[in-house]
Amino acid sequence: MWEKVISYMPHWQVFLQGFLAFFIPYLIYKLFHVFLFVNKSNGKIEMKENSEQVEMVHIPIQKTLEQFTGDFNKDLLQMRKELGHNWDIHFREFQIGNTDNRAAIVFLKGLCDKELIDKHILKSLMNGHTEKSSVLRGHELQQSIRNEILPVSELLEESKVMKAVGKVLTGSTVLIVDGIQNVFIIGTAHGKTRNLEEPVSEAMVRGPRVGFTEKLSVNTSLLRQHGENRNLSIIEMEVGERTKKELVLAYIDEIVQPNLVKEVKERIETIHLDDVAESGYIEQLIEDDYLSPFSQVQSTERPDRVIAALLEGRVAILLDGTPFALIVPVTFNMLLQSPEDYYERWLSSSLIRLLRYFAAGISLFGPSLYIAFVSFHQGLIPTKLALSMMATRQGVPFPALIEALIMEVAIEILREAGLRLPKPIGPTMGIVGGLVIGEAAVQAGIVSPIMVIVVALTAISSFAIPQYNAGITLRMLRFVAMFSAALFGLYGIILFFLFLCSHLVKLKSFGVSYLSPTIPYRAGDWKDFMVRMPLKMMKHRPRLLKPKDSVRKGE
Amino acid sequence: MKRIQCCVRLLLVATVTLLLTGCWSSKEIEDLGLIVGTSLDLETGDVSSEEQQDARYANRQLLTITNQFVTSETTVSGTKEGALPEKAYKNVSETGDAVLPTLRNMLLKVDKRSFAEHSKVIIIGEELASTINLQQTLDFFLRELEIRPSGLLFIAQDQASQALETNEPTKIPAFQLVEMMEGHERTTKILPPMTVAKLEGKLYSDSSFLLQNVSTENGEVKFAGAAIIEGKTKKLRGFLNESDLEGIAWMSGDAKGGLVKGFDEESGAPIVYEIISAKSKIIPHVKGDQISFTIKIQSEGRIAEHWVLSDKAFDNQFLKKAEKVFEKEIERLVRKALDKTQHEFQTDVSGFGNKLRIDYPKVWQKRKKEWDQTFSEVPITCEVKVSIKDYGTSGD
Repeated sequence: MWEKVISYMPHWQVFLQGFLAFFIPYLIYKLFHVFLFVNKSNGKIEMKENSEQVEMVHIPIQKTLEQFTGDFNKDLLQMRKELGHNWDIHFREFQIGNTDNRAAIVFLKGLCDKELIDKHILKSLMNGHTEKSSVLRGHELQQSIRNEILPVSELLEESKVMKAVGKVLTGSTVLIVDGIQNVFIIGTAHGKTRNLEEPVSEAMVRGPRVGFTEKLSVNTSLLRQHGENRNLSIIEMEVGERTKKELVLAYIDEIVQPNLVKEVKERIETIHLDDVAESGYIEQLIEDDYLSPFSQVQSTERPDRVIAALLEGRVAILLDGTPFALIVPVTFNMLLQSPEDYYERWLSSSLIRLLRYFAAGISLFGPSLYIAFVSFHQGLIPTKLALSMMATRQGVPFPALIEALIMEVAIEILREAGLRLPKPIGPTMGIVGGLVIGEAAVQAGIVSPIMVIVVALTAISSFAIPQYNAGITLRMLRFVAMFSAALFGLYGIILFFLFLCSHLVKLKSFGVSYLSPTIPYRAGDWKDFMVRMPLKMMKHRPRLLKPKDSVRKGE
Repeated sequence: MKRIQCCVRLLLVATVTLLLTGCWSSKEIEDLGLIVGTSLDLETGDVSSEEQQDARYANRQLLTITNQFVTSETTVSGTKEGALPEKAYKNVSETGDAVLPTLRNMLLKVDKRSFAEHSKVIIIGEELASTINLQQTLDFFLRELEIRPSGLLFIAQDQASQALETNEPTKIPAFQLVEMMEGHERTTKILPPMTVAKLEGKLYSDSSFLLQNVSTENGEVKFAGAAIIEGKTKKLRGFLNESDLEGIAWMSGDAKGGLVKGFDEESGAPIVYEIISAKSKIIPHVKGDQISFTIKIQSEGRIAEHWVLSDKAFDNQFLKKAEKVFEKEIERLVRKALDKTQHEFQTDVSGFGNKLRIDYPKVWQKRKKEWDQTFSEVPITCEVKVSIKDYGTSGD
């Protein structure tokens, strides 16, 4: 009896294997965890140091609280002290009307609207109103200027010197009048903008031909222009410690989940940076996982894309000075969708969407499948193809991995160089490079013609993905896939794919699973996933964002 | 900092150990020699090596195995200078007393790594098939992982290695055989293909079956009838010719397409019938101890050629007459094939036994052992029904 039981007991080797199978992954996890942990805490420390420094740098409290006195000479001197050394600051002194009320305007050359200053500010102040203004002084004059003299829509009063200085630097005009304690700040800012143009990075066949510009007010007005929507909230925030920049959050009050807005605000408030040059900075500072190769914030130049995202219950972040707006949260399928999918009829756009998924697959696994088939699983190739592949690879001195690496690296260099080249020689270099790589490399016997086809196909399919940065991500991962294919063949590719999947499943963007609606599985959201169902059927907003109002369209 | 360095070092070691494995079991496609066909023959001549002589003294049968290789050098575009290679294939032979050791001895002669996943045909020589049990010869091919079950089996008259040679050097004989096999859909003179997978079932069920026969004349490969493999001994019993195969095809309902040539009774001019569809049903009858079979054949088709000047093709009476002619002709073919299998070879190759097993399992259990013997004495009747659906695009 005992012997019978013993015979069912596994051998000690099985126990050892079991232990190793647990211990080795645990060890790897621990190692990685420790590494990450150390890194994170370092980051925190640095952040703290930064913020301390920022406080040190801050202008002494006295200075920030300095106020205008109402004494014309003193105030003007104060302004001169702060700004006078700049070449582009202008001080213009004059007298109001025929009276001896002295006044001065301070403005920045180039940033302000000169016509407005000449025609409406100076003219109204210097001419007319003779009888009254001779009498008026102090508070009455202030009221008179405000209510009668200046025909300007944006008019503020400011008592703090530093604030006024800041306003001048952004293009406003400061009016200092003798005897009035506060100064007037007149909104004359008129920055240089370019015209509205079609976004270069997101071209479409059908859809509005308008893209964001570098000016925030234009961008927000584009969002407003989309149609009357009382619930569209545009909330102002400020980023940058040294160079302050305006940033707005846009969302639709009735739809968005309030916690999401709160979370976005909190994350943006943690940004303590000297200068936020582009929305890419914000993207990198607020994303969930900086080690992930996938972008967890979507950037777009298209107002229609932003509006569509807002209506799904997402939040958009627009920064002054860049045409790229950010959309959070992001799911993987958004990277493979284009606004055009909704403008075209559902059948064709569904097919095109499926095609994009297919292209993403090719651009990720194309060369690695070639390597796996050529150097591991020749039995899986149809016989005739195997024969011709054998023939074309005859005389190629490198193994398939090296061959693929040569070509892939060459095409990446070509792509990068093509971006940087001046426009007139760009296409020429493309053709020359393509010819050299394609034709000459085959002629020279360095690579096989089939490899050229594989590389060309993967390069093209990586550009079929509507989001440029998603394309780059896949291209980056392609190299990892190639190495794993060279190590273990198809088995390696499958391992790599599983590794990728396990990462993606864990990844979150602002509390939303990156892979949803696949995981967690939401059948309802599949209507707008791989295929785009007819608009009639898409009655609800995506449920993953938990919108307040989930019905998109009534019965 | 030290901790980070330590971690980085450990990670580095991990990556290096991964990379050090290199491309583990990779084998580049151009370094392979694809085995596309294999032939097995009985070696009766003189042998040279010690290993072979030992086998001879021990009274073991010697096999000669010929592998047909296709390598990157033999393919046309593989030669860079544009010169055609002399042959599109390379045959290598080796002799031994078991299959795998012989194949391994081939390593001594071949520079390429042999790779059998694209193996298309296995040809067995007449002499080998009639001396050694097929199950023994083919054991390796059924067992080996690398050999695909879709490979086709043939029996060669005379030397099997001859069937892997051809006069046209740019063609690969193994592929030619596979492509010729596709003709079975348009003629009844070629058997439906017998793959390694199907063969396994036949071998283990102890039933007799047919294998396509290949003959070689002046370097030209030709399909010539079929070889009968006896279920009990699993050895070659004899050959059927092409017209016998026609009868077999009608009996078993395998005729997917093909012609029947009949002669008009009055004028003696030929009329040709093309099969659109053919069905057959073998019905066993058991009365006491007496077993008998009825074969019911139904076919639809068209008149493909018509030499009889006096008759009009769309005349119903003529069509009736023609149907009769074809029915007779088909019955004649079936009778002839039955005669040969029942009386000359005494083997059941058309699945009569199987039908009996399904309909009368108890009778089958009793008769199973000496079924081939019983089969040779069983009366078989044949009913043929032909209907002509179509007479082509001409007729007056």
